[in-house]
Amino acid sequence: MGVLDGQVACITGGTRGIGRGTAEAFLREGASVVINGRDPEKGAATIAEITAQDGSYGDRLHFIAGDVKQKSDCEAVVDGTVDRFSKIDVLFANAGGASGHAPVVDLTDEAMQDSLEWNFWHTFWTMRAALKHMIPQEKGRIIAMSSVEGKVGKPAISIYVAAKHAINGLVKSAAQEVGPLGITVNSVCPGAIETDIMLAEGPPAAEAMGMTYEQLLDQFAQESAIKRLNEVEDVAEVCVLLASEAGAGISGSLLSIDGGSAPY
Amino acid sequence: MAGKLEGKVACITGGTRSIGRGMAEAFLAEGAKVVVNGRDEAKGQAALAEMGAGDNAAFYAGDASKQDSVEGLVDFTINHFGQLDICCLNSGGVQMTAPVAQMSDEEWQLEVDWNLNHVFWGMRRALQHMIPREAGRVLVTSSVEGKLGKPGIPGYSATKHGVNGLVKSAAQEVGTLGITVNAILPGLIETDIVRATGPASAEAMGLESYDALLDVFAQESAIKRLNKVEEVAAVAVHLASHSARNITGCMFPVDGGTMPY
Repeated sequence: MGVLDGQVACITGGTRGIGRGTAEAFLREGASVVINGRDPEKGAATIAEITAQDGSYGDRLHFIAGDVKQKSDCEAVVDGTVDRFSKIDVLFANAGGASGHAPVVDLTDEAMQDSLEWNFWHTFWTMRAALKHMIPQEKGRIIAMSSVEGKVGKPAISIYVAAKHAINGLVKSAAQEVGPLGITVNSVCPGAIETDIMLAEGPPAAEAMGMTYEQLLDQFAQESAIKRLNEVEDVAEVCVLLASEAGAGISGSLLSIDGGSAPY
Repeated sequence: MAGKLEGKVACITGGTRSIGRGMAEAFLAEGAKVVVNGRDEAKGQAALAEMGAGDNAAFYAGDASKQDSVEGLVDFTINHFGQLDICCLNSGGVQMTAPVAQMSDEEWQLEVDWNLNHVFWGMRRALQHMIPREAGRVLVTSSVEGKLGKPGIPGYSATKHGVNGLVKSAAQEVGTLGITVNAILPGLIETDIVRATGPASAEAMGLESYDALLDVFAQESAIKRLNKVEEVAAVAVHLASHSARNITGCMFPVDGGTMPY
């Protein structure tokens, strides 16, 4: 028996990295899970890999293709979850990243716009769509992927820092709006985790910051108390806690999962 | 399925009732051995009987506002169960709180000893055991008042702010040694201690009744209700577990959306 038996979760991203790890943790705890990504082939491969671990996951796992930078796709992932599993109890707006990093003075409009759509607008679009289902059922959990960069700033990655700070503001307001309705809204703020998206976007971000990729990872590790990077499991298990019945009393929180990096 | 805390040993200041008791029961359910503490031997034995955990639970009588009691709990736990993995510094409260202008030296000293010094004494003793083992979890029960202030409870707010600072510094000191140090910040929970001292606190805060005090806390949250013991206990289990090995220096809120940061 799991702490999420009978619950239905929707995770943007989810074929790899933190979303994938959280999907597997939710399945282990008994939830039905929709994962998302742009590439249907990667989605099918992910489903095959996860169900190979435990065949009973097959009926509880579903993939919906979509680009989270598109409003229609964000809404389709949420609504598609309800179509497939009849309801949505948990939204994890997990997808995100940024490319085109530069100091503000050199930053392009396109890079800022892209990061805001990928991180902030995607969180807003999926949250709004999910709340339309959750408010009538007076029950729900929304978890937004923020970052340690949602609380602090670093030079040359302002597109990411600004988007993640904005997500935290959105979370705080939404939590106040739906608090009495049995719906919690929280963000998770992890330190750096070496996921596929980090491997892809880290090197150009490091270059914009005037360092190598290894130096970037080391900077994240050194600014923590544990002097190492975080891991996917760190975030996945906090998401399980937030999604569970025991998480009902936690809302509007920006949970630091960063080995002691953020100052608050 | 194996529990998340199999083979672990925990001690909890103030663990015979309310939040500490909830932590004790949750830890036991996950396979840990637990020493609970309180001032009253009879209450302690009653708690052990109610928990029904046999040899997996023990009681240590002592006043959490006294250094020898707090250090004695840590030492007793290590002697009794052979080790200490999870040190929960949970006890705390006020007795006869008052606005600063009317605060007595005696009350002030009690609150500093009970809420802040107790955490320091227990943490120091526990870390002396945990550092050579390069493993451990220190969990401090702070409060929303560790980030906020309300009129009439200056000592509680000051000491809870104090423990948050202590947690942040200690986390940095032992972060590379496999030891995490975190605070849990609950909103108001209607525990025995709140029932006992709440009416006097409400008066000090200029509120007309104890119910008005409860309502102030509920209304300042997003969920418009008080928090529950089980909500804090679940977070304590998580922070004590292997899955939380990379969470430290964290001020973990369980406050229904009360604190601004």
